[in-house]
Parts: sequence; C-alpha cells; structure tokens
Amino acid sequence: MPAQIDHAAAASIDYDVLVVGSGVSGAIVARSLAEKGLRVLVVEAGPGDELSVADYESYLTRFYGAAAKDNNAAYEVNPNAPMPRSPDVRRLQPGHPDSTGYLIQNGPYEMDSTYTRVLGGTTMHWEGKALRMLPEDFEMRSRFGQGRDWPIGYDDLEPYYRQAEFELGVSADVADQAFYGITFPPGYEFPMHGLPKSYLDQIIARDLDGTEIQLHDTTCTLSVRPTAQARNGVPNAAYDDGLGFIPVGAVSTHQVDEGGRCQGNINCVPLCPVQAKYNARKTLAASLDTGRVDILTQTIASQVHVGADGLVSHIDYQSYGSTTSPEHVTGSLRARRYVLAANPVENARLLLASGLPGSNGLVGRNLMDHAYLLTWALLPEIAGTMRGSQCTSGIEDLRAGGFRERHAAMRVSIHNDGWAWPTGSPYTDLVELVDDANVYGAALRRGVVDRISRQLMLSFMVELMPETSNRITVDSRYIDAMGNLRPVLSYSLPEYTMDGVAASRRISRRIFQRLGAEDKTHYDPLDPGYVAYQGEGFVVRGGNHWAGTHMMGETSHDSVVDVNQRSWDHQNLYLVGPGSMPSIGTSNTTLTLAALSFKTAEHIAAELTTRPSVTIGG
Amino acid sequence: MADDSGVLEAFLTLSATLTGYSRFRLLGTGQAEPYLATTLDAVGDDALGELLSASTAVHDEAAGDERALDQGLRARILSDDKLGPVARNVIKMWFVGTWYQLPQEWRDAHASRQPDSTHVVSPASYTEGLLWPTIGANPPGAKGQGYGTWSSPPTLDLP
Amino acid sequence: MTLRRIATVEDLHSYLHIAMQLEHATIPPYLTALYSMHPTTNADAYRVIRVVVVEEMLHLTLAANLLNAVGGTPDLSSEGFVPTYPAHLPDGETDFEVGTRAFSRETIETFLKIERPAVAEGETRFVSRERSSRALLPAVDAHEDDLHFYSIGEFYAEIGEGIRRLHEEMGDALFCGDPARQVGPEYYYSGGGAIVKVTDGASAAEAMRTISEQGEGLGGAIFDEEGELAHYYRFQQLLLGRYYQPGDQGGSPTGPPLDIDWDAVYPVKADAQLGDYAEPGELHDAIHAYSATYGEFLARLDEAFSGRPDLLMPAVGDMFRIKELATQIIRNPMPGQPGVNAAPVFRGLAPVEVS
Repeated sequence: MPAQIDHAAAASIDYDVLVVGSGVSGAIVARSLAEKGLRVLVVEAGPGDELSVADYESYLTRFYGAAAKDNNAAYEVNPNAPMPRSPDVRRLQPGHPDSTGYLIQNGPYEMDSTYTRVLGGTTMHWEGKALRMLPEDFEMRSRFGQGRDWPIGYDDLEPYYRQAEFELGVSADVADQAFYGITFPPGYEFPMHGLPKSYLDQIIARDLDGTEIQLHDTTCTLSVRPTAQARNGVPNAAYDDGLGFIPVGAVSTHQVDEGGRCQGNINCVPLCPVQAKYNARKTLAASLDTGRVDILTQTIASQVHVGADGLVSHIDYQSYGSTTSPEHVTGSLRARRYVLAANPVENARLLLASGLPGSNGLVGRNLMDHAYLLTWALLPEIAGTMRGSQCTSGIEDLRAGGFRERHAAMRVSIHNDGWAWPTGSPYTDLVELVDDANVYGAALRRGVVDRISRQLMLSFMVELMPETSNRITVDSRYIDAMGNLRPVLSYSLPEYTMDGVAASRRISRRIFQRLGAEDKTHYDPLDPGYVAYQGEGFVVRGGNHWAGTHMMGETSHDSVVDVNQRSWDHQNLYLVGPGSMPSIGTSNTTLTLAALSFKTAEHIAAELTTRPSVTIGG
Repeated sequence: MADDSGVLEAFLTLSATLTGYSRFRLLGTGQAEPYLATTLDAVGDDALGELLSASTAVHDEAAGDERALDQGLRARILSDDKLGPVARNVIKMWFVGTWYQLPQEWRDAHASRQPDSTHVVSPASYTEGLLWPTIGANPPGAKGQGYGTWSSPPTLDLP
Repeated sequence: MTLRRIATVEDLHSYLHIAMQLEHATIPPYLTALYSMHPTTNADAYRVIRVVVVEEMLHLTLAANLLNAVGGTPDLSSEGFVPTYPAHLPDGETDFEVGTRAFSRETIETFLKIERPAVAEGETRFVSRERSSRALLPAVDAHEDDLHFYSIGEFYAEIGEGIRRLHEEMGDALFCGDPARQVGPEYYYSGGGAIVKVTDGASAAEAMRTISEQGEGLGGAIFDEEGELAHYYRFQQLLLGRYYQPGDQGGSPTGPPLDIDWDAVYPVKADAQLGDYAEPGELHDAIHAYSATYGEFLARLDEAFSGRPDLLMPAVGDMFRIKELATQIIRNPMPGQPGVNAAPVFRGLAPVEVS
C-alpha cells in the first residue's frame, strides 16, 4: 500500500530514482528499474488511498451518482491538484482567455481534452486502444515533407512495443494488426486473442468492406478491422513461444479476486468497473512487490531545482492531507536520477514554473493532440448499439499513403456507445422523446429502441503536426489552491489537420450513403471547438492524446530530450511520456509512450547499475 | 396525504402506465420508494397529491379501456400545466434514475424547492434505470452482460 | 468398522458425480445471500461471497475435468442434480440446514459449516450416523448408506486417495477420457486458481489440490500455496468484521476492517419453493422463468463439459442474466406476507416439486 511510507522516511532513504507521476509512464519506469535492483520513489499529486478494490470502487460509486457523466466524472474535484474537465470548456471570445477550468484557455481553439490526476493517472480513464504507430509515422518529414522525423524508427521501437503489449495485456490477433507496414517478428502472438467484433461492427463490415475512397493519388479500400485493446480477453496459449499469458486482474492488496475478461460494461472511459481494462495501478502493484518502490500520494512536485553544474539538485514537494483543504507541508526530495512522468502538460508546466524553459525555449512548445471529428447517423436496422467495450473495431485504411503530403491522415473508430460523445445520448434522446415527442408507456419503449439501438457514430481521429505556437505556458496571474502556476494553453488547428477534418466529413457522407444510414451530424457554431474552414463548419473535439511538449530529437538545438528521453540540458533528468513524441500519427499514444518508457528504463538502469567487480584468486 | 401504502400503490399505478413497465418490473428495480420520496421532496405534498388523485381518477374512470386511459391521461395530466411536467419527470426518473429540474415556468408558478435540482437519485437508481434493459443493453459501468455477448443481436425488451 | 473406499472406476465416477453435485449445491445458497443485499451497499461482503461463488464454479469445472479424464460423463441436467432446499450436509447433523436465505449472521454461520476445515485424518474421516432424508450427497449412491464424511474436505481427500490407488492399480489406463472434453486455463474465472486440464496423475492431483485448498483449507492452513485464503476463513471475516492478512492465525484476523450493514438486505423468503408462488400472475411467471433460465444455464454447462468448452463464455453471460432476474424477484414483496420479499427458486428445466 502506498501509505506504508511517510515523507520523513522517504527523505531519509537514498533513492536511485525519483519518479514524478504514477501514470503508465512512471509506473513502467518504476517497475522496470526496481526489477533491476534499483530503489525508486514515486510521487503522485493526486489522491489514491491504497491499491485496493475498495478504493477503486469508490470512483465507480462517484460515477454512478454523478449527474454529468463526463470523462472525469469518476474522479473527485480536487483543488489541490486540479485536472481539466471537459464540461468546463466554454466557447471563447477572441482575445479573452477563459480561466473557468484548471486549464487556462488562451485560444483561439478551445481544447476539451483532459487528463486524470489520481493514483494510476490517465490510464484510470483511458479507453484502452493499444495501437502501434505505422513505420511511416516515424518519417513524416523525409517521406511526406511534413512535421518531423523521429530520431529512431519503427524497427528500433518494435521490441519495446512487445514489452508494452505484455505489460498492458493487449488482446488482438496478429493477422488483424499487420497492416500498412506494421510488422511483427516471426511467430509473434499477442498476449490474448482479439476481442469479438460487436454486432454493430458486423453490420457495418457487411455493407462497407471493399468500398474505395480516393484521397489524392491514394486509393483507400475500406475494411472493418478489430482494434487491439489493452483489456483482458482470452489468453493466447501460443504467446511467448507457447508459455501462454496470465491476465492481470483487479489490483488488490487484500484477497479480493476480481477483474476477469471484459464484460462489455461500455464504460472504459471514465472507468472500467471490473478492471478488465489495464490501468497503471496494475503495474504499480507489481512494482511494490519488488520491495524497492515506495509511493507517496497527495504529494505535488512543486519546483525542480538545478545546480550550477546544470544537474537537478532536488525537487520540492507539497504534501496535503485532505483534498478539501489547502493545508500542506513542504519538503525536498533527492535521488540520483529524476524522471518527470506527469504527462505533457504537467511536465511542461512544472519545468516552466521552475524557471526551466530549456536552453532553446522549446519546453511546452509543439503541443499536439489528435483532432477528433465526430459524425453520426441512424442505421436502417437495429444494430444493438450501447453494448460491448466502447469500440471493438475501426477502419485503418485512411492512415497511410502518399496523400499525407497534402493533408492529415485519419483513423476511424466505430463507437459501440453510439452518439454518447457528440450528443449526450441516450439521455438527450430520452428527454426529447418524453418532453417533445410526447410519448409514454409502450410507445416510449418502442421510441427508445428506434432512436438508440440504430445509432452509428464514427469518430475520425485526425493527425496533427507539431507547431511551436501550439504550446503550454504559465502566467503568474493564474494559480491553483496550492499556489502552483496553472497551465495556459494556446492552440490552433493547422491547415494540414483541417484539410484532414474536411476530408473526414466527406468520407463520412460516403460511408453513410453506402450504409443507407440517415446522416444526423450537425455542428453548432456555439459549441466549444467549432471551427469554420473553407465555407464549412465543424466541431472538432480534443482527443486527450496530449503530446509533444518536450520533443525528442537528434540534437540539443531543436529538441528537449534525446532518444532516451534524457533532457539535453540536465543530464540527470528524464522527461518521459508522450511529450517526447515528435509525431503522433494516427495511433492513440499510450502503447507508444509505454514502449518509450521501457526504452528509457533500460537506459537509466544501464547508467546506474555498476558492473559487478570480479575478484580473481583467493 | 393518504396512508403511505396507498400513496405508493397510486404512484406505482401511475408509473406503470407512464413507463409501459409492469408493477412487478418497477418494484424489481427497488427504486419505487426512493422515486416517490424524490418526487415528494421536489414538488411538495400538494402537487404530488394532486397528481396521484388525478391519476387514480383517470385509471378508475377508464376501467381498463386503454383508449379512455390514454385520453384521460393526456387531458388531465400530461397537458396540465402543473401535473404534466411532474409526470414527465417521473418517466425520466424511472428510465435513467435522474431527477431533472422542472422547467423554470413551473418553478415560478408553483414552487422552487431546493431538492428540485438535476441529480441522480442514488448510485443504485442509476444502475436500475429502465432505459438500459429496454434497448437490451446495460447501464454503462454496471451489469456488463459478459464477454462476447456484444457480438450477438441485442435482446430488446419491447412491449 | 468396515469402510467402503473407492475400489473401482465406477466408484470413482460416482464420487465425482457427487462432487459436482456438491460444488453446485453450494451455489444457490451463496447466490441468494449475495442477491439479497441492497444494491451498492455491503461492498466488502458482496466481494467476499462473490469470490467464493466464482471459485465454486471453478471447482465444478475441475470436478468435471476429473470426471471426464477418467472416462465419466458429467450430467448436470438430471433430475435431482439440483437439491431441494433446505438440505442437510452429508454428515447428517441436524443442527444446521443449507438453505437459500438472505444475507445474515446466521446464514454466514451456515456457510462456515459448509466450508469447515477437515479435522479428521485417515480412517476417521468417515462418521457413521443415520442419514438425513435431506442429505445433499445421497442422490447418487455412494455404496455405504450409513457412512458420511465429516466435512467436504474429507470427502475430497477420499477422492484423492481413490485416484491414487486406482492409478497405481491400473496405470495410465485410468485416464482414458477424451482430452478434447477438458476445459483449459483460457476459460479462467476471475477468482484465484487456474483451470487445470486433467490428463494424468499429476494434473489430477493439481486439480484436487486447488479444490481442497481453496475450499476448506484441508491441512489447517488459512492461506494456500498461492497465498489465497480458504473459503472458510473468507466467510469468517464477515462475522469477525476484519480481513485476514498473511501471517494471521485462524480466528484472529488483523487486516483492515470490513464494513458490513446487516440491515441493508431484502428480507427474502427463506428456502422458497415453487409451491410458494401458486397464485397466477407476474411473480409466478417470473419465478418459473427464473427457474427455467437456471436450468438452461446448467444445460449449457453440461454441453460445455461434454466437448464444447467454448460454451463457458456464454454461460458466464447466463450468470449475469440470472442475477438480473433474481434481483427483480427479490425486490418484490411476497403477496400476503408483510415484511417478506420473494426469492428465486433454483430447480431446473423440468421442475418437479418435492414435498
């Protein structure tokens, strides 16, 4: 249990590594280093009483009782370590920053992306799509003249992808996932078999598979493919050369056993009720088993101090006893290496608040996120919408090809949860049927089925290239309850992305025409995220895939970290997570950042593990 | 108001007609009493009493004739300025476990009580909403139907 | 005293049929207690009982694997497979009955008796006593009508020894069953312990070990080799109000407290019978629909244990549906019995009411 150590004790221990943040990056680094014999302290700004099912289920009960079931509804409002919440986002007036939510929105685009500040981080609320990036995503500049190349390629990362797929417990079948250059070593199997396609997926596949879409010179042939997911399914006996895989159940320090296969609770975001979905607490629990990891929750890293030698000397913390009171104590923590794993916004915010914008001023810049265009329609038949995990299949065929010289690529998810994201269905449908359609009784029951069970929602996840003007800054006018500077976001959607957005809308129309589905998509100019572009208007939503604020590169001139996520400026400091990614392609970022975390842990371990001296004779 | 069990019976009778779900199914949610209490707290004794009296009268007069019941319900409850919004709220509460704040004009004309705010009656009322079984689904985050069940057509609960 | 031990493969089949019946027989009582709790209350108690139910399903599967391995044929659809509650445990004691009852201290005390650790060793595991007409085990003839096991653990000890004896006598011919009928670990349940395919003496011993250690803690250990707490001690935590943690002695748990609200429970009719719902109407229909659904679930298990292990996936879905139907019933009042709620009846596909 994290509570087994207090701050005084932690201050007296010589830790090899201090990790800031208990999300998936920090958890993987902590576990990997501890398994190599190193002593690690993890500090988490948010709460998390203990690694138990009871603590986990308190989030679930909060979610059940919440009137607004947004994607952070399961997590308590905590002014001491606040988090962005999508209902806080307002339509901006030009020139008027909005400080309603934790994130100061400086515009011009309003970003409704969130992250989660609790033990386990945003993996508590993530959906669980575990996609590798395409090999061409690592070479955007050299292949398509867009964005930046990575200093490493797909083949360099591939072994770490496999480690990540083990750690996260990915369910998928190799035959479904080898597309557009993605390769696996011969004989590779995923830990668990792919999850079954939903009935909705099958209906879409029946009518859509084989449809051709022309994107400039690229002909894309659509097919509905199962999505690789970090949630428990049926273990693959052939995994690991026939050794098989044992799924990780619910995190518990008691004898409670729970967390089997995915049950189809359709609530991956904001919280899987049975922990079938991976969350970083699983990795944290395993790290505690080494006996070499300590965790301090409700402990905010408030200031990074750098000595005259350019090395980090210590990190100040604030520790609060209750989320309802700003009362706290302060202190400093030291270690041989420092790892900031607090997510791209918080990593940048902490460095900037510490007066460390980087020698090239790039900390906080090049912020990226996927732009989401949601499109929705009513199918001509009952599709059983609102069952399964949130997405079981998608369309991968718009992710690759020469058209990327001209506009952004996109990946389509078929949403088993219907129009929940764009319209607030089924609540809004119910209210409309009762209040406006004036139906009740049997007619209402039929109306509910007619309106909801035929819903189709396709989300287009559109890639975005780094721009230095898209950035996180801090501003002394905006502080939180603990006196820490809040992140200020300046963000706009580049044309390259908006062209992809416009193409997505056209493609969605084609798909709906092919399916005979009634297109119900509409974008309200009063909604946050509304963007007028080339005579059309779109509501573009954030993807919660923050990336890029401490981008990796080959030289210290144009990047913040090296291929091992080590800070160019401070050689004992590592900035880990998606903030290091030079491009995000059309993959959800988690699997890639998990792979990077393994790579970094390997590097730190090699640095810190002194070779055993050999004594000869005797 | 009349004795408690009489009130609950009247509330159940009205609720069954409004939701299209039987008394057994309504009781099966375990939410009848909390929903009655929530309605009472939000609209007060007077409005609830009027609603249930009107409902009892409409049901009695219809005497099993569905057409008469429908007409009576629309004429005397659903189109009534005072009773209609409350009845619609009762429907929504049964389907998703949420009490929605009454329209402002209702609050101005009748009462604006503190409990009349949009809220989920209780965590259990969320999981017991009738909307989910209607569409053959489960409330998100609860009552998952089991691995792979999503790949078959839904089992709709249609009247 | 002469004791009829397992002497032939047919004896072993009988014992394993009984084992399946026994593992199943605990499920309706545990489920009834579980379902009787008010929703979103008693989370700790709910989890404790739920895990035990899941593991009984695992044991049922392991017993089916054992039976299949030695050439037997599981049969969960036969008349009498589902006991009529209340029923007595095989030792014939009349101080307690196993029934389908609401969650209460008394109910948990009964569960403790079901799962009580074996105390007898060797010959003394049999207790000679007149069999109750409501004993769970005798639905299949176990040869010696006046002999009973002191505990379930000892019953399994006899099976274990029987397998070893027969294996010595017959060699690997004992394991003549079709391996395709074995359920493998990929159909794991969410509780502790893995499903073991039984194909030889070692895997049979492994399956037996999981059943006895998880259940009653044969051998006196409260935690098994995997660090898992035996069922007896899991239930005992509910009465003692505290979790066990590693290193604890039986009877003195020192872990975190459990939060239990014995009043947040529907007062369901104890040991409900189909006859209690004679009056036509929705409740009657729901009770019969429930019993039939439960029977379909058992029939699905039958098929799963007869070469279609993939059917265990939809069977898990059945369990969720069964729960939903049961909770609807449990929240309805028992007509004409103020203060008593209805309770589901577990009979099967072709319910025959035994009076």
